[in-house]
Amino acid sequence: MKMKNWRADAQALLFLLPFLIVYGLFTIWPMFKGVEMTFYKWTLIRKMEFLGWDNYSKVLQDREVWEALGHSLIFVVLTTPTMLVLSISLALIANRKSVLQKFYRSIFFIPSVLSVAVASYLGLFVFQPYTGLVNSVLHLIHLLPGDTEIFWLTETRLAWIVITLITLWWTVGFNFILHLSAIQEIPDEIYEAARLDGAGDRQMFWRITLPYLAPITKTITMLQIIASFKVFMQIYIVTGGGPLDSTRPIIQLIYQTGFKSNDLGYAATMSYLLFVILLVLSALQYWMNNRKGADM
Amino acid sequence: MKKRNTGFLALAFMLSSSLVLGACGSNNNAGGAANGNTGSSPAPSADNSTGGNTKTEGSGEAVNLSFWTLFDGGDGDNMQKLVDEFNKSHPDIKVKNTKLVWAEYYTKLITAVGNGNGPDIGISHTSRLPDLINQGVVTGLDTVAGEAGVDWATFNQNLLDATVVDGKHYAVPIDTHPFIMYYNKKLLKEAGLLGDDGKPVLEQSADGFLAFLKTLKEKLPAKTTPFALSNSNDDPYRLWWALYSQLGGNDLVSDDLKKAEIDKAKGIQAAEYIQKLFTEGYIKKNDPDFYKNFQSGTAATMMTGVWATGTWETTKGLEFGAMPIPKLFGQEATWGDSHTIILPLTKSEDPAKRKAALIFADYVAENGQIWAKAGHIPSKPSVLEKQEYKDMPYRSDYAAVASTVKFNKPSTKTWQIRDNVSFKILNEVWANKMKPAEAMDKMEAGVQKELDK
Repeated sequence: MKMKNWRADAQALLFLLPFLIVYGLFTIWPMFKGVEMTFYKWTLIRKMEFLGWDNYSKVLQDREVWEALGHSLIFVVLTTPTMLVLSISLALIANRKSVLQKFYRSIFFIPSVLSVAVASYLGLFVFQPYTGLVNSVLHLIHLLPGDTEIFWLTETRLAWIVITLITLWWTVGFNFILHLSAIQEIPDEIYEAARLDGAGDRQMFWRITLPYLAPITKTITMLQIIASFKVFMQIYIVTGGGPLDSTRPIIQLIYQTGFKSNDLGYAATMSYLLFVILLVLSALQYWMNNRKGADM
Repeated sequence: MKKRNTGFLALAFMLSSSLVLGACGSNNNAGGAANGNTGSSPAPSADNSTGGNTKTEGSGEAVNLSFWTLFDGGDGDNMQKLVDEFNKSHPDIKVKNTKLVWAEYYTKLITAVGNGNGPDIGISHTSRLPDLINQGVVTGLDTVAGEAGVDWATFNQNLLDATVVDGKHYAVPIDTHPFIMYYNKKLLKEAGLLGDDGKPVLEQSADGFLAFLKTLKEKLPAKTTPFALSNSNDDPYRLWWALYSQLGGNDLVSDDLKKAEIDKAKGIQAAEYIQKLFTEGYIKKNDPDFYKNFQSGTAATMMTGVWATGTWETTKGLEFGAMPIPKLFGQEATWGDSHTIILPLTKSEDPAKRKAALIFADYVAENGQIWAKAGHIPSKPSVLEKQEYKDMPYRSDYAAVASTVKFNKPSTKTWQIRDNVSFKILNEVWANKMKPAEAMDKMEAGVQKELDK
């Protein structure tokens, strides 16, 4: 028995080897290299100067870094809850027995096949002043006087709304599919039994659907938080981080520091700061899940 | 349940760790990527060696040179044409042009040179040169220029001076692309502001330009923009730099390049003037595309770099003129930059290659009439006298600007100061959210911060 296990493990390892080599070479090793970088003034051309802990003490006091982290956090707070509500709602709609079922499934999912650049540029065109769809429609229905324009992209608050909307529209498809398949796994008998007991739609949603969706929802939440913390491209395209850096997320600052200001060492330090934050978040989530998991 | 959680945590860990790597792990591997995308260089034909500067080292073997450029569109085509012509007329030198993507060009150049995989010839903006020199990417040219017979006196002095750092030549300027003014002849005529010579009736002063715009605003239909300009980043900054320089403003950094030193009163005056253009409605607020605005004939004037000339020329039905930006204050000055040819540091500093490379660089400058097709001003005054150049319309109208371009001091931080400080803060002034005086204070602090990094 033991022998057999060992054999199976060896076989598995053999198949995993190519992946492990590539993973080790391009993920694990650079991670350690990245740690090394944080101790140097490390430029693109690798003119290095050993700094010791300087980058670390600098990053903790750097207002720009904390502001940028704050913006990433704003983005997480704006997108994660709305994403969950939207994803579940769309899944419920698409699960209804209707002639439009297939249609719903495709239109909810289609945006997520677009690249981030396409999605962001579409958003730009829709929200741009004078010629954009939104302002034009507002003019058409006389909600907005003809000679005024809403500048969606250059006012911080409005820009956040636009960025959130683009992100939701573009990424909801994937979560929607996860929720939809989870909904479809809920046994019909449970609903039938509930209906026989006189439960209404609302009760069934809160007492049956939502609890059954809890595990996948937790997973989506965590993935969404991590993904949202990594936001970069859509903000970079839509606002460039402006006005006056008020929407610049941490990844953009890391990118600018590394490749524009030519300070890879400091950029790596910021990356590890973010890494630690995400790690703590993951651990927290793990701990919470474990606690709740006990009574489920 | 427990098992799923562990897997989930592992997934989260992987996701977050790959993020860290994505941000910092790519410094090792940039050189190779550039080798794939090569332009086709035709084989040199032996019977067409009429070029003036042919090499005479009788080895028979052609010297092969790799050349990295950042040009796309019309610029890219013109440079390819120059390379082709050069290869035809110089059978013993073969230049291979590799077009890189603009946005990645400098990063790739620097990393490639760092790994010893850089090209034999490269392109740099004059404003980027000090940074490249500081990083050891670019080599000095004084010795090799002599060997290749480059006569520095044949270049426009203003453009050349900007490429000389610490008394040494580091680059061969091939052009300058300054900030100039374009105007729509039809609209100006409609407003009664077009002279018989086809030039705008415009008094060259601060008040004169305001009055000019005021008339345009009053006389033209409401949906016409008197002055098309973007509301953020490059172009309003260029205008600010031009006016600041016209006022005699002395750059943003001190002569020793270590301290922020803004002529605040002049900076404020220039910013206030431009802010007024925005707030008084001469410039369309948050114009989504000011190029299109001018191109479609709904803007009377616009300012941008000379590279727009080629675009306007090929636009059907656009009757336009080009001129230096008006002299609004004390002295003539404008924003501008140059493309220059550089010799990056290579593994084997082969003297034959370096000499051949400079022969090529001089050839490109000498044949600036081809390069000028997009609108750039050639770096050699002799090119301006060529019939081929004179036959191209518009360009002669602004060629004199080459001598009044105000370059930045050779700071290694010029680009960071511009992108991270000037753009951002001035954008707030144009949006009328910040007072010019406050902006100058903030800029000074910001410039200092960049210099201290």
